[in-house]
Amino acid sequence: MVLRSIASRMALWVLAGSTLVLAAIGVLLLSLTCAQILQHTHREAAALAASAGSEIQARIDRVAISAQMLATIIATRQDSAEPLLRDTLQANHDIDGLAAVFRPSSSPVDAPPYSPFVNRVDNGALASRDLSSDARPYWNSNWFLGGLSCSAGCWQRPFLSLSRQRQLINYSVAISREGRPVGIINADVTLDWLHQILGHLDKPEGAYAFVLDSDGDYLAHDNPALVGKRGAPALLEVLASDQAESVRLPVAQNAQVHGAVWVYSAPIEGTRWRLGLVVPEAQIYAGVRRIFLWSLLLGMLALLGVALIILLTIRRTMAPLGMLADRAEHVARGELDFELPSTSRHDEVGRLTQSFDQMRHELALHLQDLARVAREKQRLASELEIAHQIQIGLLPSEHYLDAVCAYFELHAALRPARAVGGDLYSYFMLDPEHFFVMVGDVSDKGIPAALFMAQTITLAKALAPRAQTPRNLLQLLNLELCRGNDSCMFVTLLCGLLDTKSGNLVLASAGHEPPILCGHGAPQLLDFTTGAVLGLYEDSDYPEHHQRLRQGETLLMYTDGITEASDHHQQMYGIERTLGSLAQVPPAAPTAGYIERLLGDVDRFVADAAQADDITLLALTWHGAAQVDVEVCVASQLADVFAGLDRCEHLLQEADVISSLRSDVRLVLEELLVNTVEYGYPDGRSGQIRVVLHPGPETVTVELIDDGIAFDPLQSVCPNLPGDLADREQIGGLGIHLARTVTSEMRYTRNAHSNHLLLRFIYPNQDGSSS
Amino acid sequence: MTLSLHSNFSAPDRVVVQVGGRLDAMTFGELDEAMLVLLPRLDVGGTVVIDLAGLEYVSSAGLRSFAKIRKSMRARGGHTLLLNPQPQVRKVFDIVKAVPVNEVFTSTQELDAYLDRMQRQITEGDSDA
Repeated sequence: MVLRSIASRMALWVLAGSTLVLAAIGVLLLSLTCAQILQHTHREAAALAASAGSEIQARIDRVAISAQMLATIIATRQDSAEPLLRDTLQANHDIDGLAAVFRPSSSPVDAPPYSPFVNRVDNGALASRDLSSDARPYWNSNWFLGGLSCSAGCWQRPFLSLSRQRQLINYSVAISREGRPVGIINADVTLDWLHQILGHLDKPEGAYAFVLDSDGDYLAHDNPALVGKRGAPALLEVLASDQAESVRLPVAQNAQVHGAVWVYSAPIEGTRWRLGLVVPEAQIYAGVRRIFLWSLLLGMLALLGVALIILLTIRRTMAPLGMLADRAEHVARGELDFELPSTSRHDEVGRLTQSFDQMRHELALHLQDLARVAREKQRLASELEIAHQIQIGLLPSEHYLDAVCAYFELHAALRPARAVGGDLYSYFMLDPEHFFVMVGDVSDKGIPAALFMAQTITLAKALAPRAQTPRNLLQLLNLELCRGNDSCMFVTLLCGLLDTKSGNLVLASAGHEPPILCGHGAPQLLDFTTGAVLGLYEDSDYPEHHQRLRQGETLLMYTDGITEASDHHQQMYGIERTLGSLAQVPPAAPTAGYIERLLGDVDRFVADAAQADDITLLALTWHGAAQVDVEVCVASQLADVFAGLDRCEHLLQEADVISSLRSDVRLVLEELLVNTVEYGYPDGRSGQIRVVLHPGPETVTVELIDDGIAFDPLQSVCPNLPGDLADREQIGGLGIHLARTVTSEMRYTRNAHSNHLLLRFIYPNQDGSSS
Repeated sequence: MTLSLHSNFSAPDRVVVQVGGRLDAMTFGELDEAMLVLLPRLDVGGTVVIDLAGLEYVSSAGLRSFAKIRKSMRARGGHTLLLNPQPQVRKVFDIVKAVPVNEVFTSTQELDAYLDRMQRQITEGDSDA
């Protein structure tokens, strides 16, 4: 947890690094210092050893010189030996006892010579006795015989005087007379002073000194327990090898000292003794080690202090970072409204804080923007959905069955490639006996196409009553769509008008795919001449194609979404496959069967390739039997008109049309025919008027087709009614008025060379009034 | 069926013309010609009663003939009265509204009553004068 903070980690690392450096430097310094100290100790100890050796030598020399002088003096004055010994003993306190012993004469009769021995007694007084009177004659003893050969004096082995309870060592000098040893001076030297000298040496703390005799035994030692013992073999070996004055021994002989020791030795001149000074290695380094430890401790404390300062400084510096990190989590949660640490500083943290603040604002703006875009997108999507609904709403239902006599049935399907599309189909009853149907495809896709489609479908429905025929409808539509069509969009449209009584179908196409006639034999492509597409050229004409549907025949209208449906290899479905697919449909299949079959085949062909274009299919099936129309042709002469009128009345009577309706028809026909004959051919040419009668069970429909000049009775001026006819100068328009009033419905269309008037008479109700 | 005409002078100032059959663009000429002969024989201020009981059918041409009769009678200070129009004729009259309703009578009694009333008005008017 603690290490997650940068401050603590940095402090720790600084501490660790510094400690490492400190330790390295410390170790280096320590080793250098140790070497220095060792050298220094070597020098000091060697000097100490040398001076101690000198001191001991001086003391010994005094003894030796005294003994030698006594020997010289006593050689001539043997008799005064005792006083001399006494004087000497008093003068030299290092000597415990002095003996002057002489060689007895060769003749056994002679009494042995007086051999005085003077020694100190416990109270400090001197005692003397004659050694020659001892029970054991001295002249046979080793020390005497050995001493005789020491003309220059020699130190004997130390021994423990039993009588005096102390360690003694003899110095013997031969008394020479006439070049011949006659006796010896034997000095008993106590070793107490040696101990004192060793003890008073200015030794380093913990060091101890010793003196080894020539045999390697300890003459003196700071540890009294070792006196008289033999020196350790390693020590003796080192000393014997005459190496440097200083030598290191891994283990000291002295039990009081542990660890390695340095031994410094110096020979004591005049003897074969060696003085040794032993300094424990630990002791040498103790001081520097202590100082080093102190330094280390202080250094560590200082480092801890530094680390603490770093910790606090960084923590203080980085404190805003923690806050920023916290705020960043806020940002991640989408909460942008929060306090930031104050940014009075101008360092990196200050800049970071400022940037963070700026980022927050930018982010807020960005988020707002994003939300706005998202809302916009959603709105657009919902608008598109609504547009889709509206477009679907523009289309009539997918199924239409002639409700009156079930003579025809229609099925349609429209599949937009996108939410909204440019394909359209529409159908509606123009009047009770005429059914308009159309299928179209706008040049583009998407919303522009959808708008154009809506315009087309709406205009078509609005213009149809005026147009009356597919050809007129296409022309009117074309004019309307050309107006203000700067974007040069266009629509192909196949338009059909079905006579719901007879199954007569009039088709006109504005650059649309040719329809297919199915139901009798192989499907047949009705490839008639088409006009230009709608919306581009104002002066386009749309030739009509007349087709009579036979019972069970189905007319299939479609858009190029079918023929241009592509599979993965960009291969199009094509008209051949379309015809092949339709050929599979059994002749008695329902209308929907054609659509299902074709759509299913196209789907299988396309497989899972994307739908590129809108697909529209419309199937119109004729179920009714063909109805025989009654047609009366009338020449443009009045007499002929009335003959025709009589024929018509006769035909209507045969068709069981009631008399009141018959006379209505006659009245209207007379007025219109007379009018046509009188005014329709002003150039005097002979014309022909066709009267087609459709007597139905509820209505009588009459078509009046003449090739006279254009005249729309619906547009003629209505006479001023009421008023007295007799008051008028010119009595006109009455007949047209009558005809318009009596007819239940009247439609006028003008084809290229003929007027086409559709009249409908509805049977009066039971009460006699015509609805 | 063609037009049939019968005229009968019940008084020097009153003639009853019975029109039967069809009065259309084909036959209106006959009526026009007959009236052209008949009307000058009527006294000034006389009355023409056109009995339509036998008229099955009339078209605008017939209406125009009636209008011509009324026009010429008015010029002579006389009256034109229509009697007994059949349904088709009445329907056409109703549509065109070209004939004053008070000049159309559905029965002879109605006509006689009207003529008596008119007669009294004239005599009272004469005594007033």
